[in-house]
Amino acid sequence: MSYLLEIRELHKIYEGGTHALKGIDLNVRKGEFLILLGLSGSGKSTLLRCINRLIETSSGEIIFDGKNVLQMKGRNLRYIRRQIGMIFQQFNLIKNLSTLTNVLTGKLGYVNTIHSLGFRRCRSDVAAAEKNLERVGLLEFRMKKTRNLSGGQQQRVAIARALMQNPRLILADEPVASLDPATADSVMRYLGELNKKDNITVVCSLHFLSLARKYGSRVVALKDGEIVFDGLPSEINEQKFKDIYGEEAEEVEIR
Amino acid sequence: MKGQIKNTLKGLMVDFLFWLYLFGCLYYLLHNNWGWTVRNKFILITAMFFTGLFFLIGDSLGRKSFLPTASTNRKWSHSVWGWLLVIVLIVTFLVGWNIVEVNPYKFFTKFRNAGGITSGIFDPSIVGYQLSNQSLEELKLDGVDQEILEKLSGIIGKRYNTRKVCRDDLKRILDEEEFRIYGEILLSKTEKNMTMLNQALTALAETIFLALLATIFAIPFAFILSFFAARNLMPHTFLGNSVYIIIRTIATIFRSIEAIVWAIIFSVWVGIGPFAGMLALMIHSIAALTKLYSEQIENIDHGPVEAIKATGASTIQTWIFAVIPQIISPYLAFTIYRWDINVRMATIVGFVGGGGIGLLLMQQQQLLRWHNVGLIIWLIAAVVWTMDMISAKVRTKLTSM
Ligand SMILES: Nc1ncnc2c1ncn2[C@@H]1O[C@H](COP(=O)(O)OP(=O)(O)OP(=O)(O)O)[C@@H](O)[C@H]1O
Ligand SMILES: [Mg+2]
Repeated sequence: MSYLLEIRELHKIYEGGTHALKGIDLNVRKGEFLILLGLSGSGKSTLLRCINRLIETSSGEIIFDGKNVLQMKGRNLRYIRRQIGMIFQQFNLIKNLSTLTNVLTGKLGYVNTIHSLGFRRCRSDVAAAEKNLERVGLLEFRMKKTRNLSGGQQQRVAIARALMQNPRLILADEPVASLDPATADSVMRYLGELNKKDNITVVCSLHFLSLARKYGSRVVALKDGEIVFDGLPSEINEQKFKDIYGEEAEEVEIR
Repeated sequence: MKGQIKNTLKGLMVDFLFWLYLFGCLYYLLHNNWGWTVRNKFILITAMFFTGLFFLIGDSLGRKSFLPTASTNRKWSHSVWGWLLVIVLIVTFLVGWNIVEVNPYKFFTKFRNAGGITSGIFDPSIVGYQLSNQSLEELKLDGVDQEILEKLSGIIGKRYNTRKVCRDDLKRILDEEEFRIYGEILLSKTEKNMTMLNQALTALAETIFLALLATIFAIPFAFILSFFAARNLMPHTFLGNSVYIIIRTIATIFRSIEAIVWAIIFSVWVGIGPFAGMLALMIHSIAALTKLYSEQIENIDHGPVEAIKATGASTIQTWIFAVIPQIISPYLAFTIYRWDINVRMATIVGFVGGGGIGLLLMQQQQLLRWHNVGLIIWLIAAVVWTMDMISAKVRTKLTSM
C-alpha cells in the first residue's frame, strides 16, 4: 500500500450551486502518470484544485503522503503545497519578471516570509534555478522577461518553476491545451521525462487521447463530476470513448 | 387584492406629490415675479383636488407608474401623463432660472466690471517700477524744491506695474509745470522691482512641493490599505469581509469630502499655511489612491496568484511576487496623475488657508491688484500645463510597459 494520494468521497459544490464533483474516489500510486480525461465542465480542473486546496472542498477526504490535506492550516498547508507542483493551461507566469525570477518563485514555499521581503536570492537557489532552466533548454533566456517568450517556452519555464519545489507530485491542468500539436508533444515529453527519471508522480488533465496513450500509465475519465472510467490507456476503445465523450463524439487524431 | 390597494396608495401618493410640487412651483413663480400671495392651505387643497380628479380620469403619472390603464399605455404624446411630465419639466426649469437669478442682460452689459481683471490678464505685471530712496537723494543734490521732494516722498518704494502707471501717478501728484520739468527725469530714475515675481515664484514652488509631499506621504498609506480594500485578495470570511467593507467605506467617505473642507479643518488645527494645505491634500489623496490602487488589484490576472499560492508561498509572499509586479506600473501612473491633480487642487486649497500660490492669489485679488493677479494666473496656467504634459507622457510610457 504505497499510495501517494488518496481521495475519498470528494464532493465540491460551488457557491452558485453547481455540483462539480460528486463523490470522487481515487488512489494514485507513486510514480504513476495519471491522465484525467473528460468533457469541458466535467470537473477536471475542480478536482486538481481541490488536491492542493486552491479551492476548498465541500466534503470528503484527501490524503497526501499519509497526511490529511483538508485538515491542514497555515504553515502545514504550505508544507504540503510545496511538495506538489502545479502547471496551468495559461502558464500563469508573472509576465513582467525575468525567466530566472519566475523559476525562483518555485522556492518560495521553502523561504521564510521575512527573508523573501528583501528579494534577496540565495546563491544555491539561483544555481538550482539555472540547472532547472537548462533542463528545459531555456538557460539562455534567463534574463528575458517571460512575456517575450513563446507559449511552449513559457510552459517549460512553468515546468522549471515546479521543479524548483522538488515536488513529489505534479498537477497539470491541461498543460498543452493552448499549444500547437508539435509544441504540445515536446512539453508532454518533458513531463514524461520527469515522471520516469525523477520518479515524480504526475496527474495531468488532457483533451487529446493520442497524448494520453503516448504518455499516460493510467487513465481516469470524469463525466459530470463522476468517474466513468479508470484503467490503462490501451483499454479505451470506441465504446469507452463514447461513454466518456458522448454518443456523437468522433476521435480526432492528433499526432 | 392587497397588492391592488397598495398600488393605488402608491399611485395616489405619487400624484399628490406631483401636484403639490407643480402648484408649489407655480406659486413660487407668481409670488417672486408678481407678488401674488396665496394661503398654503389653498395649495394643499388644490393639489388634493387635482390628484383625485386625474386619478379618476385614469391617466396620470401615478396611474402610469403603479396602476396602468388603457389610456396610460398610449405613447407619451398621446396621453395626459406625458404632457403633465412636459409641463413639470418646463416649470422646474423656470423655477431654476429664478432661483439662480439668471440674467443674460447683466452678462452682456456689465462686461466692463471685469475690465480690471481682464486687463490684468492681458498685461500681467512681470516686472514692476519704483522710485528708490537713492533717486530722491540725487534730486536733492540737484537742488530740487523741498516742496516737490515732500510730495514725492509719499511714493518712494511704491511698486508700479508699468512705467505708464507711474507716470499717471506723478501727473496726479505734481502740478503741470512741475511735471513738465521733472517728470521725465524722475521716470528715467525709476528702477525695476521684481518683488512680485519673486513672491509669486516662491509661492508657486511652495504649492508644487506641497502637492508633491502630500502625494508622497499618501503613497505608503494608500499602498498598504489598497491590499485590504481589494475584493479578490480579502478572504470571504467574516474578518476579511469586515476589513474590506470598513476600509472601502471610510475611503469613500473621506474622498467625498472635498479637499477644500479638509483645508478649512486643518488651517484651524495647525494654522494657516502650506502645512495645512499639505495635510488636506494628503487625506484626500490617501482616500482617492486607495480606491484607484485597489481597483487595479482587482483587475490583475488571477492566474499567477494561484500559481504562486500553489508553490506553498505565504499570503504576503503571494502579494509580493504575484500581485505587486502586476500593479507596479499602473500604480506609478496613478501616483503621477495624482500629483498632477494635487498641484491643481493646491491652488484652490490655498484660498482657504492652505498657503502657496492660492493664498497669494486671494490676497492680491482682495487688494484689487489686477496686474499681479494676472501674473499669478499665468504662472499657475504654465505650471498646470507643464505638469499635465509631463504626466501624460510618463503615463503613456508606463502603461505601455
Ligand atoms: N469558480 C466557479 N464557480 C462556480 N462554478 C464553477 C466554478 N468553476 C467551475 N465551475 C463549474 O464546475 C463545473 C466543473 O468545472 P471545471 O472547470 O472543473 O471543468 P473542467 O473539466 O476543468 O472543464 P474544462 O475542460 O473546460 O477546463 C462546471 O460546470 C463549471 O461551470
Ligand atoms: Mg479546466
